[in-house]
Amino acid sequence: MIRPMLLAADLTQDFTTPLVSGAIQGAVYGLLGLGLVLLYKGNRIFNFAQGEFGTVAAFLVLVSSTGAGIFPKMPFPVAIVVGLVAGTLMALVTERLVIRPLFRQPKVTMVVATAGVALLAISFELFFNGTNGRNARPIVAGEAIRSGGLSITWQQVVIVGVLATLALASALFFSRTQTGVAILAVSQEPTATSLVGISVNRISALTWGMAGFLGAIAGILLAPTTLFGPGFMTTSALIPGFTAAVFGGITSLPGAFLGGVLIGIAEQFGNKIDLFPGANRVVVFALLLVILLIKPAGLLGKEA
Amino acid sequence: MTALQNTTDAVAAEPHEDRAFRPSVPGLALRGLVYFGIAYVVLVLLTANADRAGKAADAVIYAMVGLSLNIIIGYTGQLSLGHQGFFGAGAFAAAYSLTVHEVPFVLSLLIAMAVTSLFALVLGLVALRITGLYLALITLVFGLTLEVSLFEVEEFTNAGAGQPAFRPDFLVEPFRGVENVRFYYFCLALLAVVVYVDWRLTRTKAGRALLALRENERVAAAFGINVVAFKLFAFVLAGAIAGLAGALFGYRYENVTGADFDFFLALTFVLMVVVGGLNSRVGVILGAVLFSPFGLDNLFKIPRIHDFLAGVSWIGEQRVEFMPRMIGAFLLIQTVVLNPGGIAQQLRPVTRWLAGHRFTLHGDKDSGPGVVEGSSARA
Repeated sequence: MIRPMLLAADLTQDFTTPLVSGAIQGAVYGLLGLGLVLLYKGNRIFNFAQGEFGTVAAFLVLVSSTGAGIFPKMPFPVAIVVGLVAGTLMALVTERLVIRPLFRQPKVTMVVATAGVALLAISFELFFNGTNGRNARPIVAGEAIRSGGLSITWQQVVIVGVLATLALASALFFSRTQTGVAILAVSQEPTATSLVGISVNRISALTWGMAGFLGAIAGILLAPTTLFGPGFMTTSALIPGFTAAVFGGITSLPGAFLGGVLIGIAEQFGNKIDLFPGANRVVVFALLLVILLIKPAGLLGKEA
Repeated sequence: MTALQNTTDAVAAEPHEDRAFRPSVPGLALRGLVYFGIAYVVLVLLTANADRAGKAADAVIYAMVGLSLNIIIGYTGQLSLGHQGFFGAGAFAAAYSLTVHEVPFVLSLLIAMAVTSLFALVLGLVALRITGLYLALITLVFGLTLEVSLFEVEEFTNAGAGQPAFRPDFLVEPFRGVENVRFYYFCLALLAVVVYVDWRLTRTKAGRALLALRENERVAAAFGINVVAFKLFAFVLAGAIAGLAGALFGYRYENVTGADFDFFLALTFVLMVVVGGLNSRVGVILGAVLFSPFGLDNLFKIPRIHDFLAGVSWIGEQRVEFMPRMIGAFLLIQTVVLNPGGIAQQLRPVTRWLAGHRFTLHGDKDSGPGVVEGSSARA
């Protein structure tokens, strides 16, 4: 009787715990990946500033809920709205001042420009905040599940829920609404699209606004899970977010969800490899390389 | 006979009317004076004290990385976001082979170049199948993977304390009583070699082949250019140069730790090449100097500037150290959006004049010497 029980305990230790915590960590990557996929669908670029839309939003939630600097102290829900608006606005400004002038330039130029936006945002955060880490208030406090080595907070439940909802909603948006189809049309044939009466500029602004909104949600949800500082989204989540988006299929919104969760789980199991340091990253790198060489469109992607 | 010579001359000397233009004697003297001034600053002024010479060595090392990265971004048109990986691998390879295996100094430099060439070869093989943004992502993950795995291996990092990389005697011995000065000259000499190699690259078949490959791979292949060989060659050359720069970086601080090679370093490298001006040696070198510890960082440490900014009420003492990053990022955005040729494009009238042409503000876009053509990376 004792042996099977031990086995069950081992299973939780070795298998269930990394699976669940990996899936939760992966949801975080997927949340960021969602915005990346959106902009890939809209502009055919990788947006390196995606993480900073989130960091800026998280910082604004912090300062407006605590009333630091020029900000009056606001109730927490209002502060969250301020953060969401800030992330969206930042994306809109980026689109207008950096992306739109580069429409006809090579994509790599655009990508370098978004990296510049990220660096500028980080330097502003450093300027106003310094290098200190901050504690953000979670949207919901407390632990949902605690058993053995496994502990899931309500905040993590919210993250997974929000990710699933957003992935589904935005997938429906692209397949079922005219605006969604218009965004795809602009990315494929800008000239032809403007000929049938769709404003390329307005669609571009809309795409970036949505991406900024998604990034802001990701940032606000992620900030309470760690001690957050300038550029925390870029350093901790952007790269896995890219990997997740590409792995799941850079053109597929549910793919970002799936890719995020799979990458998160792979990382957790990679942690168990003790052969050399950073094995979890090496596992992710190998996965990415394999999928790009075998099926460049990703797991759920349709076009290369 | 003469007619034939004339036509070939006309083809060789691209800038139209400049063919007949010869600088006057005062013009030559003035150019000579400017060259003398540059040489004076680089060779004498920067070596006035050890601290300054050390920072100048940083700038020279960054310039090497810039030229290496320019081969990938400028010549092959691919974006590499993992150059800190090559840089770090070079530093660790040199330090490890010198300190642990006690190989001679020069051999350690060669080992560093061999190791990074090998890494670059692997990436180059990947680049044969994957291009554009996907390759950028691969290079990014490559750099990060090296950063968290290889650069954390205890045997390389001396259990986290950093691998010592002491310079050989001939680079330490006091030279005019200053330690870093010799090392700076040594780096400068190697930079000259790298610049020469890069110049020959753009002026020979390999350079033209790479240019053709960047513009259209299929057309180039149809003209008999060996796609695989030249692409791999470009990656290996870039990797070797970055490895050499990394090794020198290790010897500059005489200690190598993994934390020196983070993702922001890779971004800085891309930044300096783009702001400097892709495909322009002069531009890339100037960009590298600007973004090295010698450039913007140093500028804000000049007491008068630092104290002035620290005195401004809304900036204050602590925030001054973040200003170089802010200005660097701003420069990058404005370069990419408004001025894709970078510093090189801004300075073209001057560099053209220095090369012995007429001084005009509205000359040909790309008639300057050593410019391959085009000024933006292509996907």
